[in-house]
Amino acid sequence: MSGRSKQRRVRDPARDVSIQVLEKFSLVTKFARDTTAQLFGENRLLGSNDDLRDLERMPRIRRVDDRKTEIKEDQMLHSVDHRQEPAVCTPSYSSDIDTSCTGDRLTPLGNEEWANYFDTEGHIALSHALRKRIFYGGIEPGLRHEVWKFLLGHFPYDSTYKQRAQLVVKKREEYLILKSQWQTITEQQAKRFTKFRERKSRIEKDVVRTDRSFEFYAGDDNSNIMTLRDILITYSFYNFDLGYCQGMSDFLSPILYVVRDESEAFWCFVSLMEHMAPNFHRDQNGMHSQLLALSKLVQLLDFPLHNYLKQADCLNYFFCFRWLLIQFKREFSYGDVLRLWEVLWTNHLTEHLHLYICVALLKSHKKKIIEEEMDFDTLLKFINELSGHINLEAALRDAEALYLIAGDSGAACIPPGTPPSLQVAYVDEVVDNSD
Amino acid sequence: MATRKRTLLKVIILGDSGVGKTSLMNQFVNKKFSNQYKATIGADFLTKEVQVEDRLVTMQIWDTAGQERFQSLGVAFYRGADCCVLVYDVNLLKSFESLSNWRDEFLVQASPSDPENFPFMVLGNKVDIDGGNSRVVSEKRAKTWCASKGDIPYFETSAKDDLNVDVAFQCIAKNALKNETDEEIYLPDTIDFSSGSTHTSSSCSC
Repeated sequence: MSGRSKQRRVRDPARDVSIQVLEKFSLVTKFARDTTAQLFGENRLLGSNDDLRDLERMPRIRRVDDRKTEIKEDQMLHSVDHRQEPAVCTPSYSSDIDTSCTGDRLTPLGNEEWANYFDTEGHIALSHALRKRIFYGGIEPGLRHEVWKFLLGHFPYDSTYKQRAQLVVKKREEYLILKSQWQTITEQQAKRFTKFRERKSRIEKDVVRTDRSFEFYAGDDNSNIMTLRDILITYSFYNFDLGYCQGMSDFLSPILYVVRDESEAFWCFVSLMEHMAPNFHRDQNGMHSQLLALSKLVQLLDFPLHNYLKQADCLNYFFCFRWLLIQFKREFSYGDVLRLWEVLWTNHLTEHLHLYICVALLKSHKKKIIEEEMDFDTLLKFINELSGHINLEAALRDAEALYLIAGDSGAACIPPGTPPSLQVAYVDEVVDNSD
Repeated sequence: MATRKRTLLKVIILGDSGVGKTSLMNQFVNKKFSNQYKATIGADFLTKEVQVEDRLVTMQIWDTAGQERFQSLGVAFYRGADCCVLVYDVNLLKSFESLSNWRDEFLVQASPSDPENFPFMVLGNKVDIDGGNSRVVSEKRAKTWCASKGDIPYFETSAKDDLNVDVAFQCIAKNALKNETDEEIYLPDTIDFSSGSTHTSSSCSC
């Protein structure tokens, strides 16, 4: 790996060095530093809920420096593609969440540092430290295609270089077999295969309207659009019971953009869908369980807002449907989506950070929602129009703070099996520990 | 005639994915067409003020996801609807055959007080494609179906070429309003029984 090291753009060089040293030894654990000072007693943002008493058993957390991380991305990545011009709407972000308990933000993981996570054979022993590292800093764009395969669970952390090379070959063969299953369907056969025709045409309809304003997918006869199509049709054969559902192309688009290789992108998508599939089940169970968990979390973390939504008959939380179905894919610029997803996929702290992000966003607009007495329709419109106006870093920080504040009571709001529960990395870690 | 303060008409657009629901809504409200609208996730709506005879009303037009897997969301999105617009693609038989399902599903989920007389509208969209040479559902066939479902008004549209879009939505507003005043009869307001029959003309006379 060449030394494509980038200057860390942090303000305090001495601190920078110390952080680097700590990272080397994978000791940047927030809780290791969390020994003094106070957070609680500050449950002013919690509203008045009796359930919160046991929150005070939370570990006490020290204030850490509040340094902003600049993330360099292509300019392209930062434009939000609006389905239509949004109404003039620049919601002010007026979060009252105390984020002093949250971890220090780091610069994105770069090549040199990444190389240090491997032993000579290519195992990543400290996957927990790696995931935490990414949670707080993200990944440099040029490195994502490697790291995402681990984060998504396509590559096991305890695999060697050699095993992974073999896996790539084996999986490519497997992919080609799966792909040939539908590619060899003749025209005559297709005439008698309604389900295939319908799925194919549904996929073809959706890929041509997936991220077309993003350069990678723009223009007529774009071969990347065809690759999206091929992967999605192949997936609908790989998982015939689930098939294709709208929203899947939104999930695949960034994966293909980052991973590039068709077979590898397919298997990364397969890994992701292992956890997101319940969102697309016919009975919508995955969505319902998330909406219910969100409702409980708001009740816990912002009782006045919960009360308002209750009397406004909005407790079904369907106005957050798009946020949850495709994990905020439509709400941020392309670059921010990449950053958000890799943070979510770390499963650091929780597998359900996205739910805390929802709470953070709703909380930050609570005043407006309540003062303007928004009804369901108005709220849905308001939420839809937040697209492109959400500060990702602030949302992540607030979500982390809310997670820490909620503690076990928060976890109790989220029943087991609630998507995405990307458990692959977690399972790997258990394996790591047992070694 | 009883006058009603509420001048908001909630209109739900339903139909298979890719038939042009988002495009029709945007053409009507924003006078714009783009072939790059993303597949609708969940629901969204746009509003537009329209003049219907002597009344100024606000149409709230709801655009929904077209995949039937998301139909269970209808309960939340369809409630309080004043009119339901069923859209199909004249070049795609399947989208036409789905109309019955969309209509039935709407009635189940929205459960309007008077399902028999609830105003629907059918739009056969994308008549511009290939100069009409690729269409597989004839106007006659569509009208026959509409007649069989209680004389649902029918328009052939092109969101791309802005063909019949305004006319269709004007008619939608008119019918929705008609339905509304029918309901109004039951409100304890100044009621003038001489204001005419409560029978709703099933064909659009606009």
